[in-house]
Amino acid sequence: MLEVTGLAAGYEGNDVVEDVSFHVDPGEAVMIIGSNGAGKTTLFRSVVGLLAPSSGEVRYEGAGITGVPAQRIVRLGISFVPAERRLFPRMTVQENLALGAYPGRPDPGTTELVMDLFPRLAERRRQRAGTMSGGEQQMLAVGRALMADPRLIVLDEPTTGLAPKLAAEAYEALSALRDRGLTVLVAEQQVPLAMAFSDRGYVLENGRIRTQGTSAELADDPDVRRAYLGIT
Amino acid sequence: MIANVLDGIVFGIQLGLWAAGLTLVYGLGGVLNLAHGQIAVISAVALAFGMDAGLPVLPAAGLALLVGGVVGLFLDLTILRPVYRLQGEARVLLSLLLTLGVAFIVDGFLNWRYPGRSLSLFIGGGAIEILGVPMRRGSLLASAITLVAFAALFSFFRFTALGRAVRSVIEDEEGARLVGIDPARMLRLILVLSGVLAALVAVTRSMVVSVDVQAGFGITVLALIVTVVGGLGSVSGALLAGIILGIVNVIAADVIGTFMSLVILLLAAAVTILMRPSGLLGVEE
Ligand SMILES: Nc1ncnc2c1ncn2[C@@H]1O[C@H](COP(=O)(O)OP(=O)(O)O)[C@@H](O)[C@H]1O
Ligand SMILES: [Mg+2]
Repeated sequence: MLEVTGLAAGYEGNDVVEDVSFHVDPGEAVMIIGSNGAGKTTLFRSVVGLLAPSSGEVRYEGAGITGVPAQRIVRLGISFVPAERRLFPRMTVQENLALGAYPGRPDPGTTELVMDLFPRLAERRRQRAGTMSGGEQQMLAVGRALMADPRLIVLDEPTTGLAPKLAAEAYEALSALRDRGLTVLVAEQQVPLAMAFSDRGYVLENGRIRTQGTSAELADDPDVRRAYLGIT
Repeated sequence: MIANVLDGIVFGIQLGLWAAGLTLVYGLGGVLNLAHGQIAVISAVALAFGMDAGLPVLPAAGLALLVGGVVGLFLDLTILRPVYRLQGEARVLLSLLLTLGVAFIVDGFLNWRYPGRSLSLFIGGGAIEILGVPMRRGSLLASAITLVAFAALFSFFRFTALGRAVRSVIEDEEGARLVGIDPARMLRLILVLSGVLAALVAVTRSMVVSVDVQAGFGITVLALIVTVVGGLGSVSGALLAGIILGIVNVIAADVIGTFMSLVILLLAAAVTILMRPSGLLGVEE
């Protein structure tokens, strides 16, 4: 579904991710794990069109989408939820969700799905996004991304700033989406949560893929256990 | 006093609409358009020509609005191209320099070709009393048109998907891109809209006072002050600040003298920035 080959990207001519290749098949949940500064955000931004890659290729459903700007990528069926959420703080929950469906009208079925998944959003329809708690904002960011009716949702550290209980709930919501057939690609520092959720994963270190495998394989890898699971 | 306040309101809402275009373009794209007043003047000249050529006033006014929008589009497609390649402060500065250049060229050309030319639309009929003050029909009609334009603007931003899309770019450009909105297209739309609004105020202003070919910079400076006081990117802020400053302006001119009123307005703007850096209704960073 998504195929990234030899991707390099960075800032002001200095690549911070180099020669990264990975793929996501339809219906899969795939994680990219790595510590702070490993390059997860840079990698995702260059995949979803917020940053132009300096080399390499991104293909989606067989078509090249390298360097296509973010506003077009979302129309192709890939929704990105950045770690900073990027909501519209002075607009209501409802307006934020409606914009998720831009330029179309919000689909009633999709709206219902989002409200079922996050009942908090239904209660707070008329509240301004900027006045909500971090957990609620994260729900809204995912909800807004779903309004575009994506086939692939890409999330950058969805647990950023969330208390452990809320972080676990965020992954429960992602599991529910997965069960409905949505393909998920997630970057995470909170490795145990992501590992329990995903089918496969890649370990990103210093801008390069260091290891890859099924989540079970990675959970047994001594290096991964030491570096990311705190087990010696 | 009541007469001053009413005159101030008439002037203030027009000021507010001029500022609305300026503030939207800045809030949306970080572009400071110092040729805003010249767009208004070019539109007024178009109206005058249209009427000289025998057009009735309504089609001629329509022509003026069209010209305003086309000039806005023209700026977007030409001299703002290099501006769009920059970000942040550099973008503001280059836009300021280039549009100032355009303003000088337009002013120079108009002054050379049509020195002393001015537009005034005379709306006949007797005065109408409001709160015991006789108001000219021209002023009242101009105010009514301006308020309708504001109402249309507010409805556009509140109730249409396109209006919401424009607001989303002002609130978070990256967030807007992530839901599929192209900020460049929204900015082009708003430049056209701000040109149309500049033209509309030029037309309605000429029902109150005569608008001469050298009025451009005065309009831009006033609109800038209103923009700063109202808050960058806020249309309701522009209306509120326009009305307040319109009243301040008329009273200052009456009590101290016209020569001082601009200084008083600048002072009011400076005090606002000191007390509320983001303006009356601006977005707090
Ligand atoms: N906007 C930026 N400009 C310059 N360098 C950046 C920028 N964003 C991130 N970096 C650098 O790129 C590297 C990777 O960062 P990032 O992609 O954010 O990693 P992660 O998301 O895994 O924490 C870091 O060294 C970081 O300092
Ligand atoms: Mg990151």
